[in-house]
Amino acid sequence: MLSIVRNRKATSGDLWMHDEVKKDLDKNGRAKKDMRFWLTYTTRLAMSHHLFILSPSDTPIYSLTYSSTKPAGGVSSPLSSNLPTWSTSAFAGTLTALSGASSTTQHTSGGGVRIGGGQDRHVIQMIANASLDAIEEVMRKENTMYLKNVDKFNEWTVSAFITPGNSKFVLLYDSNLKNDEGIRAFFMDVWELYVKTTMNPFHSAQRVMKSNVFDARCRASAKKYL
Amino acid sequence: MSSAYAHPHPRLSSVTSAASSPTASSSRFSLPSAATLVTASKSGAGQRPNIYDRNLNKTRIAEVSGSAFSFLFSEVVQYTQKRVSGINDLERRLNTLGYRVGIRVLELMIWRAESSSKASKREIRLLPALMSIHTHVWRAVFGRPADALEKSVENADEYMIIDNDPLVERHISVPKDLSQLSCSSFTAGIVEAVLDGLGLPARVTAHSTPTAQLPNRTTILIKLEKSVLEREELLK
Repeated sequence: MLSIVRNRKATSGDLWMHDEVKKDLDKNGRAKKDMRFWLTYTTRLAMSHHLFILSPSDTPIYSLTYSSTKPAGGVSSPLSSNLPTWSTSAFAGTLTALSGASSTTQHTSGGGVRIGGGQDRHVIQMIANASLDAIEEVMRKENTMYLKNVDKFNEWTVSAFITPGNSKFVLLYDSNLKNDEGIRAFFMDVWELYVKTTMNPFHSAQRVMKSNVFDARCRASAKKYL
Repeated sequence: MSSAYAHPHPRLSSVTSAASSPTASSSRFSLPSAATLVTASKSGAGQRPNIYDRNLNKTRIAEVSGSAFSFLFSEVVQYTQKRVSGINDLERRLNTLGYRVGIRVLELMIWRAESSSKASKREIRLLPALMSIHTHVWRAVFGRPADALEKSVENADEYMIIDNDPLVERHISVPKDLSQLSCSSFTAGIVEAVLDGLGLPARVTAHSTPTAQLPNRTTILIKLEKSVLEREELLK
């Protein structure tokens, strides 16, 4: 059952990706910015975090990418495995990520564990989307708001936070990272900011959150805890 | 509000920047447009605090004046009544307005209770959730718990919250030709939003059930969806 649902989500993620790629090609400035981002992102060997906030009806209303400079708890992988995958093909990341869905870890010909598999943004969105199945299953049984390590996909771990009003904060991060307490503190900060946003009578649950202050505060909190 | 400040309308930007010059302040009173209101709050001493700078706990003791609320609510009912075709429509609209309040009440109430705890909990069982609505939600919104929580004898999926003197109806006398109307539909909307948020979808309606001693007595009827009861069975 679960796998069927996962497949469905994977397909929708695929469509999403096509749009994503198109967008990047259409808008020149945007693509350049993304490239610059991926360069700094991959050369720094940073641990990236991806936060998505979903409304009660699972519409994405906010997303944040943050690269942590804190040392990871696990092993650091060699530089070669971190070479940007976008350079070969826009679809490469998706393909490796999808093919990796059947096996838990991927190994490159060199023997090193491949990190680059799911680093394209559309792949990350797809993983976050697919983890909703796992989250929904757990949140019916568990009564805690913070659901840690609720799903795993290749090298990504997903932790989630369910607000009382049924909004979901989904955080993707590298599996080598052991920072449960920091993530909990980060979620609590985001929750406070989220509550403040919803208190605004002009805010509606489905509306995309585009407040600069909200974004800045989230980033500051990510810097502090992740 | 804050997003409006963060992204001012492009057409307003020239006016906003002009506000820093002293000449703009004199035109502030002669041109009371939306643009000048924005500049007024942005410049100088009358700066409005950002919603993200406000403390969510600050208003814990502060209460809204009952007369101010009654006045506002009477205007709400009148406004709504002019725009509807019948009692059902009116009740539905009041319910929708209450729903918007309920979403916020739930989120804020739980935040105040749980944000300081190490392991924040959500309510996933039906009865504790209903109990919490009866006591905590009522206390957060009306300042006191509701008077009773009852389970329907005939239908397993129906629960009732009874308020002997609901705050929203304290100054309302319903005319005879509208005798079916219960303005507590607003409260029903709050309850419906809270149940929805907790993942216990239900249809909530309000009914006047006066007794000789308590002419304002109101029953909030909660009719739960089938899925809720099925899940409750599984969780046992």
